[in-house]
Amino acid sequence: MRQLPLDVQLADYAVFESFYLGSNAAAVHALGLAAAGEGSPVVWLWGPRGSGKSHLLQACVSDASQRQRNTAYLPLNLAHGLGPSMLDGMGQVDVLCIDDAGIVAGEPDWERQLFGVFENLTQHGGRLVLAASGAVAACRFGLPDLASRLMSGETYRLNGLTDEERVAALQLRASWRGLELPDETGKYLIARVDRSTGALFALLDRLDQAALAAQKRLTVPFVRSVLEQR
Amino acid sequence: MQTSLWKRCIRELRADLSEQQFNTWIRPLQVVEEERSLRLLAPNRFVVDWVHANCMDQLTKVIGAETDWPEPAIVVEVGRQGLLDELAPPKPTPAPARHDARWSGGRLNNTYTFQTFVEGKSNQLARAAATQVAWNPGSAYNPLFIAGGVGLGKTHLMHSIANLMLERQPNAQVAYVHSERFVGDMVKALQHNAINDFKRAYRSLDALLIDDIQFFAGKQQSQEEFFHTFNALLEGQRQIVLTCDRYPKEVSGLEERLKSRFGWGLTVAIEPPELETSAAILMTKAAAEDVDLPEEVAFFIAQRIRSNVRELEGALRRVMANSAFTGQPITLDFAKDALRDLLAVQEKLVTIENIQKSVAGYFKIRVADLLSKSRRRSVTRPRQIAMSLAKELTSHSLPEIGDAFGGRDHTTVLHACRRIKALRETDLRVSEDYKNLLRTLTA
Repeated sequence: MRQLPLDVQLADYAVFESFYLGSNAAAVHALGLAAAGEGSPVVWLWGPRGSGKSHLLQACVSDASQRQRNTAYLPLNLAHGLGPSMLDGMGQVDVLCIDDAGIVAGEPDWERQLFGVFENLTQHGGRLVLAASGAVAACRFGLPDLASRLMSGETYRLNGLTDEERVAALQLRASWRGLELPDETGKYLIARVDRSTGALFALLDRLDQAALAAQKRLTVPFVRSVLEQR
Repeated sequence: MQTSLWKRCIRELRADLSEQQFNTWIRPLQVVEEERSLRLLAPNRFVVDWVHANCMDQLTKVIGAETDWPEPAIVVEVGRQGLLDELAPPKPTPAPARHDARWSGGRLNNTYTFQTFVEGKSNQLARAAATQVAWNPGSAYNPLFIAGGVGLGKTHLMHSIANLMLERQPNAQVAYVHSERFVGDMVKALQHNAINDFKRAYRSLDALLIDDIQFFAGKQQSQEEFFHTFNALLEGQRQIVLTCDRYPKEVSGLEERLKSRFGWGLTVAIEPPELETSAAILMTKAAAEDVDLPEEVAFFIAQRIRSNVRELEGALRRVMANSAFTGQPITLDFAKDALRDLLAVQEKLVTIENIQKSVAGYFKIRVADLLSKSRRRSVTRPRQIAMSLAKELTSHSLPEIGDAFGGRDHTTVLHACRRIKALRETDLRVSEDYKNLLRTLTA
């Protein structure tokens, strides 16, 4: 059963197979284990924006749900406004993925609620995966009981991608949607477009539609013409 | 027959692999019965590669011996089955409730026993008291109050008491409950008009163990109910064990009558583990996972992570996960590499400036005093402590530390470090101050 609190949709691309590993293979493996209910009871992922945290968390939920596990993806940046009681019952879930976990640090009610979720979840053998922009210590949780528990699991920093890896990631994503992205087009794109991973992938959506409409392949001249239309 | 075939495979693999390897690579596999072949579904291609590289000979041998299937009779690939059917390898039992008595509170973790509790100077008093209580419930020390910071082993001791009591008296009604849960259960009972059941359940216990009672702070109604439960159990000579992150008197938001009752029995403290104990804890935890952790690696991790045992455990988990994932043995360099990010975070948090501020605050002097030429005792001692801490907690060199303390020579820093080291052995006050500062800075 898949539980989706709020109006959150898992992105269709967000599966493990479409994630470019780069130097992050160990982290991806740890999340794969979590989705299967194995490995460390708690996994903390951190890294800069665009390093793929949300992608991986959603992939973990998607995988867990295919395994018929009770699972939920919870982006706290969106859920924050609902107040800490929105975490009620989350301790019963098998695989719980909490995105932007750092934003509730310093809010006693949220921290206590999160603490309760942690205790319930780990008591019945559930897996908790959290992502934030920094390590647990850097988030400055006010409740030491919570912070120390969050530190008791595996912590992974997601490394950003080099330019070459960025091209490869773009190609992987393109091939995943059935597009072929030649090397030189990839290089062309990362040299000319906002480098953030999110922006690149958004652009890929646009190129996909344009290529479909024009029945063209993603050559440099074609891509240039699409970019100029903006 | 297929089930027994896979079971047979598992048995063979288990004998060959370490617990850690087995958990990482074999457990996640799902098994599908095909006609005359076995299909293993792995969560990702790492698992596929690993199984191919490490288990194929073994598996082929077992299948060859048990069946008349033509080769190749086994396929390993990335994939998953909709339902975990009964052919799948056994799921790990999550925190097994060994003693599922009538009471339905928190579960007991049966890996938390006195045998698995690593004893050191920092916790031996608490351990001794806990053992006494487990052997003589209701009469030795009642209540037993264990005070100490987070992640130092209070919960482990509590479960140990309960597990030993139940081993000796399997029918005893022993309940472990986190105070957060006590509060939650009570609120639920009130909502469902079942408060009498709630009271009866708690008051019929032979032993009640409540964790982290600092969570009761400010919850008047819970305190009221707990007060009566507490009295009822104590009158009936039932054992009560409580833990808290500080001494009863220091918990604000707790009723006075509770504070005073908590002090009726025995209060023992758990301190942060010394270096040797931390290293021993790490080696014990690694051994429990069947992982060989060299002593120098254990000491390295223990040295760098000082705040609490949970954080130590996190670091160890990460090193073991990396080792299982890459197949490399754990060496000092390997551990340093695996923990690079984690330690970098700590270093960023612990700066010389930070240390100076904390030390000045602790001794109620100004940071400027620490950097000044003043040689008053009230300044030189804190300055020496700050220098020692800087040497221990940061990766700055002696000359760099000297510079940061008003341009002093590196020999001055060296002298300070030696002086403090000696004083920590002989002067209880210095030793306490140093420990407190270490804890604040690394928490």
